[in-house]
Amino acid sequence: MDDRTHSWLRPLVAVFVGAVFFLPLYLVVVNVFKPGADIVPHPAGLPVPPTFDNISAVLSRPDNLFTFGLINSVAVTALSITILTVLSAMLGHYLARSKRVLAKVAMVTLLCGLMIPVPVILEPITGVLKTLGLMTTLQGLILVNVGYYVPFGVLLFMGFVRSVPLELEEAAELDGASKLRVFWQVVFPLLRPASASVLIFLGVWIWNDFLTPLILLGPDSGTTVTVGVYRAIGQHQSDFGAVFAFMFLATLPILIFYLALQKNFVKGLTGGAVKG
Amino acid sequence: MTETQHGTRGEARPAAPRPSQSPRAGGPAGARRRSSARIGPKLGRFSLFALPGLLAYVVFVLIPIGMTGYYSFTNRNPFNPPTKWVGLRNYGDLLGDQEFRQALVNTVIITVIVAVFANVGGLLIAMLLDRPTRLYVALRGIFFTPVVLSAVVISVIWQAVLTDDGLLNSLLRGVGVDDPPGWLSDPDLALYSIAWIITWQMLGFCVVVYLAGLQGVPRELQEAASIDGAGRFARFRNVTWPMLAPALTINTVMLLITGFKAYDQIQVITNGGPGTGTTSTMAFQVVQTAFNGNHIGYSSAMAAVMLALVATVSVIALRLLQRREVTQ
Repeated sequence: MDDRTHSWLRPLVAVFVGAVFFLPLYLVVVNVFKPGADIVPHPAGLPVPPTFDNISAVLSRPDNLFTFGLINSVAVTALSITILTVLSAMLGHYLARSKRVLAKVAMVTLLCGLMIPVPVILEPITGVLKTLGLMTTLQGLILVNVGYYVPFGVLLFMGFVRSVPLELEEAAELDGASKLRVFWQVVFPLLRPASASVLIFLGVWIWNDFLTPLILLGPDSGTTVTVGVYRAIGQHQSDFGAVFAFMFLATLPILIFYLALQKNFVKGLTGGAVKG
Repeated sequence: MTETQHGTRGEARPAAPRPSQSPRAGGPAGARRRSSARIGPKLGRFSLFALPGLLAYVVFVLIPIGMTGYYSFTNRNPFNPPTKWVGLRNYGDLLGDQEFRQALVNTVIITVIVAVFANVGGLLIAMLLDRPTRLYVALRGIFFTPVVLSAVVISVIWQAVLTDDGLLNSLLRGVGVDDPPGWLSDPDLALYSIAWIITWQMLGFCVVVYLAGLQGVPRELQEAASIDGAGRFARFRNVTWPMLAPALTINTVMLLITGFKAYDQIQVITNGGPGTGTTSTMAFQVVQTAFNGNHIGYSSAMAAVMLALVATVSVIALRLLQRREVTQ
């Protein structure tokens, strides 16, 4: 095969392209651990010895932009994805099983929701939240997240429900299980790989959302870490160390979450495949 | 709980004597009779569980869409009541609005660049990394990292790289370029820099989707084509590429939607500038008009146009690409 004649070329090209691609991220990571004065003259140099001044400066900000933002982000993301996983599993299960015309209509309507950009509905959403008394509250933001992302959850779950044999549900019902128990103890555990996908995708998206929390939480009542990054660059545009450290800390939780769940996700998929 | 059980059992029984509707019913499999005897499964209370998700969608997506549609025919401005019906005037005004036209053109430019370059780059890198050894698996992780990061973070990183005295220009000056370009300050360049940043972030998504597609190409097909004397390019064109059709569909639709709603990068990096509106997009224009100008009626008309465009382009692209999947 002609592959073999260039066997040294592929890894070389791959590593080079990967390194060029990764360069901007590398610059952030090394400069987080460098004193501010070193960053502009030696942007690409390794941080030896590393300093944690930038990190501790972010953590001890007098306005608590990071710490409060972190708490808000964790609360909003965790609650949103938990509610979304349960509700979209229930809705996706129903829509995948139902043969009613109304269910088909609901399904098509939901799928249309997948391509609606946030700016199109954002102003009316503020109106709805004001009516409900939930504007500038975390609860309001969580509810909006649930409504906006439910189509994506339903899409993933619907595809998966079709692979769960209907006979399993019927057997449980014959044994006297209520509908709630059938769903909770038979269907939902079988949907685990789909749940993992929903948690990963929506966790990452909701954590990274910018415009929605920017508008819905408003300027006064604390915000999420992602909006916090935006606020932080407005304040010290030239202090790269501070800004990079803020971004680094704001990204770390979601990166860890992604890596942790990704493993679980892969295991779920391959485990099922091996057992048949 | 017990009531539910009795209820469902009681309801299920009358369904049984309708064997004509199911091919399996009437057979000896008595246990299957109840469910198979109906056209669909009995869902009963499951429909109740479906309601909360649907309700959230109706309240926070469908009703707001209806409101946007309605507002677009009014002069609504919360700071300048009363709100009056103005018919199609907002849409008429949009036709002559230079800023909106520029935002529309910018959005199309960004979308086309992102859709083309992230697709092509993603495919090339996926083919480069389509080897199972540890090195290539690690490199896949590197390309995927930006997909997990927020557009705000990506924007700040690239701003540090591309700004006038940024890292890229220091590098260029270092190698003897006296007057490096203002990637973000030159009105002719800034839009392309924004498009590049979005492409860079979406590249890893395309790589992963194409890799999944490549791993679905049977090795026997490649070998058979190779034995028949097909060269590398012929093998790619006639064997690999047709089998990547579903991956192309996913990537293209995803990239089109991402390009069309481009907002975060503009707000964080350029705020629509340099100059007036050189990097403004439709999403940016809608948000500015609604929240800074408070012209809700007018911004709603923009939003309606934007939604119509996104929907039309995505549906057409989806149809065309899926037809291609079927015929091949």
